[in-house]
Amino acid sequence: MPARLRKAAVPYLLLLPGLGWLLLFFAAPLVIMGLESLKTGTIDTGFQLTWAFSNYSDALKNYDEQFIRSFEYAGMATVLSLLIGYPLAYVIAFRGGRYRNALLLAVIVPFFVTYLIRTLSWETILSDSGLVVSTLKSVGIVSDGGRLLDTTVSVVAGITYNYLPFMILPLYASLERIDGRLLEAGYDLYGRRRDVFLRVTLPLSMPGVVAGTLLTFIPAAGDFVNAALLGTPHQFMIGNVIQSRFLVVADYPTAAALSFLLMAFMLVIVLIWARIAGTEALLGTEGERA
Amino acid sequence: MTPSNDDLERQFERLLRDPLTRRRILQRGAAGALSASALAYLAACGTDEPAGNSNPDEAKTIAKGKVAGSMYMANWPLYIDEKRESLKKFQEKYGTKVKYVEEVNDNDQFFGKVRQQYAQGDSGGRDIHVVTDWMAARMIRLGYVQKFDKSTMPNASQNLIDSLKSPPFDPKREFSMPWQSGLTGIIYRKDKVKRTPKSLDDLFDPAYKGKVTFLTEMRDSVGAVTAWQGADPEKASLDEYLKAVEKLKQESDSGQIRGFTGNEYTKDITKGDSVIILGWSGDAVQLKADNPNIDFVLPESGGMLWTDNMQIPVGAPHAYTAEKFIDFVYQPEIQASIEAYVNYICPVNGVKEVVEKTDKALAENPLIFPDPAFLDNTHIFRGLKPDEERQLDDAFQQVIGA
Amino acid sequence: MTLRRRGLDWLLNGFAGLALIYLLIPISVILVFSFNNPRGRFNFIWQEFSFDAWKHPFAVQGVGDALETSLKIAALSTIGATILGTMTALALVRYEFKGRAPVNFFIFIPLATPEVVLGAALLSQFLNLGTPQLGFATILIAHIMFNLSFVVVTVRSRLIGFDRSLEEAAQDLGATPWETFRLVTLPLIMPGVLSAALLAFALSIDDFVITNFNSGSTITFPLFIWGAARVAIPPQIYVIASMIFLFTVAMMILTVWQQRRAEKMAAVRPDDPELVPEPAPA
Repeated sequence: MPARLRKAAVPYLLLLPGLGWLLLFFAAPLVIMGLESLKTGTIDTGFQLTWAFSNYSDALKNYDEQFIRSFEYAGMATVLSLLIGYPLAYVIAFRGGRYRNALLLAVIVPFFVTYLIRTLSWETILSDSGLVVSTLKSVGIVSDGGRLLDTTVSVVAGITYNYLPFMILPLYASLERIDGRLLEAGYDLYGRRRDVFLRVTLPLSMPGVVAGTLLTFIPAAGDFVNAALLGTPHQFMIGNVIQSRFLVVADYPTAAALSFLLMAFMLVIVLIWARIAGTEALLGTEGERA
Repeated sequence: MTPSNDDLERQFERLLRDPLTRRRILQRGAAGALSASALAYLAACGTDEPAGNSNPDEAKTIAKGKVAGSMYMANWPLYIDEKRESLKKFQEKYGTKVKYVEEVNDNDQFFGKVRQQYAQGDSGGRDIHVVTDWMAARMIRLGYVQKFDKSTMPNASQNLIDSLKSPPFDPKREFSMPWQSGLTGIIYRKDKVKRTPKSLDDLFDPAYKGKVTFLTEMRDSVGAVTAWQGADPEKASLDEYLKAVEKLKQESDSGQIRGFTGNEYTKDITKGDSVIILGWSGDAVQLKADNPNIDFVLPESGGMLWTDNMQIPVGAPHAYTAEKFIDFVYQPEIQASIEAYVNYICPVNGVKEVVEKTDKALAENPLIFPDPAFLDNTHIFRGLKPDEERQLDDAFQQVIGA
Repeated sequence: MTLRRRGLDWLLNGFAGLALIYLLIPISVILVFSFNNPRGRFNFIWQEFSFDAWKHPFAVQGVGDALETSLKIAALSTIGATILGTMTALALVRYEFKGRAPVNFFIFIPLATPEVVLGAALLSQFLNLGTPQLGFATILIAHIMFNLSFVVVTVRSRLIGFDRSLEEAAQDLGATPWETFRLVTLPLIMPGVLSAALLAFALSIDDFVITNFNSGSTITFPLFIWGAARVAIPPQIYVIASMIFLFTVAMMILTVWQQRRAEKMAAVRPDDPELVPEPAPA
């Protein structure tokens, strides 16, 4: 085969294993789920495919509160994550030096300790009679009869904490590859650190920012563990509803419909974000050569 | 004239390079593949019939056979003696190695995980699973479990305590045998309550606002409140249950109820984040060991009595062996070793006497060996018809946040 | 001006330090409580200091096996997802081909899907296919599946803006495409690939929901914890968590020590370009 053909085939060959895997173990199952969402019935009578698109409108009507709340919480957590994570990623990338890998490991280490144990830990720390709450009460931030645990604060804090590495790692990856010479040139041009940051570093780190915010926001919106363990029913998110519809009430059509609705919202948000951040950053076509 | 290789290559190249043709081929190919697979799936998954025998009376009894070399039991975590003595003794007697997997964390989650296999008559290798009454009832109703041959299980038939001999969902105990039983009642912090609680009134006392939790287990929370409202959970109507749900909703909205939990209430009450809650007797026994300030009491209106049951799923590869095992654990000495660790209500007669010899305190514990009078003040939630179950589940789920 | 610079420096470092501490607070609580000797089954209130749990960390039945299973799955799925994901990222960033934009988009979708759906849908798929038997293999497949997208996204943000001229230079010097990849591209994208691998490993070890659906009777560490924690929290669980943490700390120290050694050697052999990343000549 001529070299040209081989060359043209390369991207497809590279793509095949990964894409094939996803098609078989992700796309196909989703098709099944899609069909499931259009069925009606119960576990006793069985589920029949009735093309019940009304499942979607019903689901949206009944659970709009939880949808909105999920986006609120995920949004807050993402912003917080960015504020906390960016400086940390910056310091590791530019000031880390020989400690760089060690610091990255430190960021990831909490993940090795299992979700449940981490959350249990937070429950201990934020407990009503614990050190944190007592201190905050004496300072006046928390009212006397109030508490930190089982409130919106604890849920958002939990979400932020559990998704922080998702923000930091992509940020680091993209900050780290910024060529030092560009920064030097920036200093020569602009002189002030603030300008260098705003006009050189930040724009160059945008792919990382986009990746990080998406990797945080999207799963956070579908999260249910934090709300379940650190919150009350008034904090429950759409993830909790899906979990319950699926596993407790065995209402599979509604659960499937809710899932697709959530995915649809996410994709819309991704598209809007792509507009704002610039399509190139999202689709990753920026900086490439034809 | 046969086309030369060169020609072929050139044609092929052109095909690949021409964007229009390539796109067309890819599109058609993709579309074809997609529709083919879609059709295949539609055929396979168009309907989701409940398989299995939906009429329990017609079920065949498990045939006698030989005891197999292995067996798979699915149970709740930490629900058997710590060092698995009971399993070892079974192996000594019958030579069967028991694969014991603690995969049942929650009735609904377990159901969600196994229902498709069970519906196809495939138990996933499981020979025994242990689920709570109402889930056991559902399994029977859907035809997912096998019928016992009682002649294989003499000990079980003989030693089962009276109060559990004939539950409404399985009057002849042909499809389920109790593993452990338990009580739902009030667990509280002696050092943090004004006075010893006596009834659910105390859980609704505004003095404890934000320090009260109920259970996610619908039948426990709703049953207790139904009894408190004056109706008998063993016979109540759907409306009476819904009234109880309404009450729970009020209290949750006002912030009186901090949340609805599973076993996690143990950490809340240990830390003092909650001071008076609805909880389970077995946990109470253990909590007391950790903190003598914690105690358990049945509400005046009555607590709830529930049982976790052993069942043999359809398609179980070693059903006969499973029956032998069920019978085995109904011997008092074996059950005694389980009871020493598990601390829930023992369903087997004669164990108390065995335990008395080594651990008097355990034998005297009313939460493990309750006398009939104690159990008088408890209720069993009645079996629900499928649509009742759905309505009630729905309403309750709305309250607990999902 | 230098003073202000210094001040800002300190502020930035301080903030980053606080963030790091925030990340590690729960870990320290776990470490502390692993030395607790609780009277009953629950390890929430500090009672007394004891080494007991550390002496017999695997005393709790089943925890050792669960941990071993989790580690094996994590290792294998990381390797699988990293290889597949890096290949996919390369294809997406480097080459123009029909359908690139949709594929880019498609890779995102697993990240937007709730775990419950992924888990249940995959279970249906396995049951419909009839194979493999639910257990280790199915968990592995599931983990590679959800890790793929993470790897692609992470490696991709590293590949963007990658300077191709280095590769072209290598090819001009006579390297084959494979050699170019192995000797030039791969080392340079390694940080991105490694951080993606690290993320994949952590996600795999930590996964509960998807694993729960597709595990059959296999028990992984998170499954074990979720199950056991409902009835008791023996300090041994905290001990194991601490051991995991300490192990990674040891790895950290190792990498720092290794870096230092590399620098020392560079001081002795300043001409070896592999050891010291020199800034390009002005």
